[in-house]
Amino acid sequence: MELMAKIAFWIYALIILGGGIVAVGSSSLVRALMGLISTLVGVAGMYMLLGTPFMAFMQLLIYVGAVAVLIFFAVMLTDAHGRGDESEPAPIRQHLFALGAVMAVGGVLSWLIMNRPPASSLVPAEVSIEQLGHGLLESYFLAFELISVVLLVAMSGAVLLAWEKRGKK
Amino acid sequence: MSIHPQLLHLIIALIAVMAWVGLNALVLVYFERKGAGFIQRRPGPFEVGPQGIIQPLVDGIKLMCKQLVMPTGADPVLFWTAPLLSMTPVLLLFLVLPYGPWLTGMQIDLGILLILAFAGINVLALLIAGWSSNNKYGLLGAARAVAQSVAYEIPLLLAVLAVAFTTGTLDFVKITEGQGPWPWQWNMVYQPLAFIIFIISAVGECNRAPFDLPEAESELTAGFHTEFSSMGFGLFFMAEYSYMVVVASVASTLFLGGYQGPFGSDGWWWYLPKVYAILMFMIWIRWTYPRVTFVQLLNINWKWLLPLGTVNLLATAFFMKLF
Repeated sequence: MELMAKIAFWIYALIILGGGIVAVGSSSLVRALMGLISTLVGVAGMYMLLGTPFMAFMQLLIYVGAVAVLIFFAVMLTDAHGRGDESEPAPIRQHLFALGAVMAVGGVLSWLIMNRPPASSLVPAEVSIEQLGHGLLESYFLAFELISVVLLVAMSGAVLLAWEKRGKK
Repeated sequence: MSIHPQLLHLIIALIAVMAWVGLNALVLVYFERKGAGFIQRRPGPFEVGPQGIIQPLVDGIKLMCKQLVMPTGADPVLFWTAPLLSMTPVLLLFLVLPYGPWLTGMQIDLGILLILAFAGINVLALLIAGWSSNNKYGLLGAARAVAQSVAYEIPLLLAVLAVAFTTGTLDFVKITEGQGPWPWQWNMVYQPLAFIIFIISAVGECNRAPFDLPEAESELTAGFHTEFSSMGFGLFFMAEYSYMVVVASVASTLFLGGYQGPFGSDGWWWYLPKVYAILMFMIWIRWTYPRVTFVQLLNINWKWLLPLGTVNLLATAFFMKLF
């Protein structure tokens, strides 16, 4: 089973990285979105591998089933065939900057992982849905409720912004 | 090299599911056409085999022999991805359905959540199909599919949540065992409103008439699958019937007592009739009611199902605390 887990890890890692590259490099907006979606699916797979199926299913349900679909909806209403100003190839300088940014973050992270590896457990402990529910509504009650307040504020803000635009017309 | 028994079990279950999905599609196509014929006072398929029973199989062969066409200006990668993306998640959904005490592909604590999570991918598939075929009917169909699916998913979740509240679990087997074998012990009796909301939203989620606006043939030719020929269309078609079977199975597990039978006679022989009764009901209403308009469709959802579902959930929580 350990070999299976390793194979699964590499498959998910490839999906995440490949999706990321497509998301950044594709000239078509819809294809870029498909890259983003495959990254999200790959992350869901990683959650599964970490023994948290609840997180994995929620990732799929919310990000792939709802958020990505809504982004797609917004993209679909625009002309997404990649003919805009930004569809031209970027100058070499920008590629160098991008490489530098990747190297800086990646370098720090890989240095940390190489030199200060955290103690890892062989088999991740699976958290049952009951434990999760008790945790969210008992020990982390305040944080849980605060997040809902933040979401409510964001939602009201979005409604307010859309309302103003309609009024000006 | 030896294969891990759990993996072997999963592979066998997946192969069985593939066969089951194909068989169900054939049977349902036959029932649908016969049902339509009966309601419209005509014989339906009649010539191929006795009572036209081989008709779906012949139709399937015809579909496979047709030419695969891709319109110019279509996105080639996404165009061929869409039907596959619509069909493949279905196989996973059947794995967790409890067909009997021992006839479950993979029993997990979060069965319902798995079905909801992977069923959401279908919307994405319809959207990709509509967008990538570079066709205005396809695009309009996709836009309708999204507005409809996103809307009807909410009352569906609320109805499922009400059942999850009363039984305290998301595991299909535990929900089944929480109900009794007799009809008055089913969740349908304790949660009638949730059952009605679930069935209506399920019909909406499956894009079935009277809620089949994404593929309304009189307005949009065929909606999101206008440009798909041969098995491209075939896969969408099979996926639609498979999703029907999935929602009917979920409904019979959550509300109709699942595989439980009286006097300890549990098994798939109780489960399948319940599933097919709901499927027959869906076929019946498809050929009885005219298609609603899009405004009506969204009004039913946002002004009726959503508030009713919320009230039902609050009432359930209230009574759960009270007793």
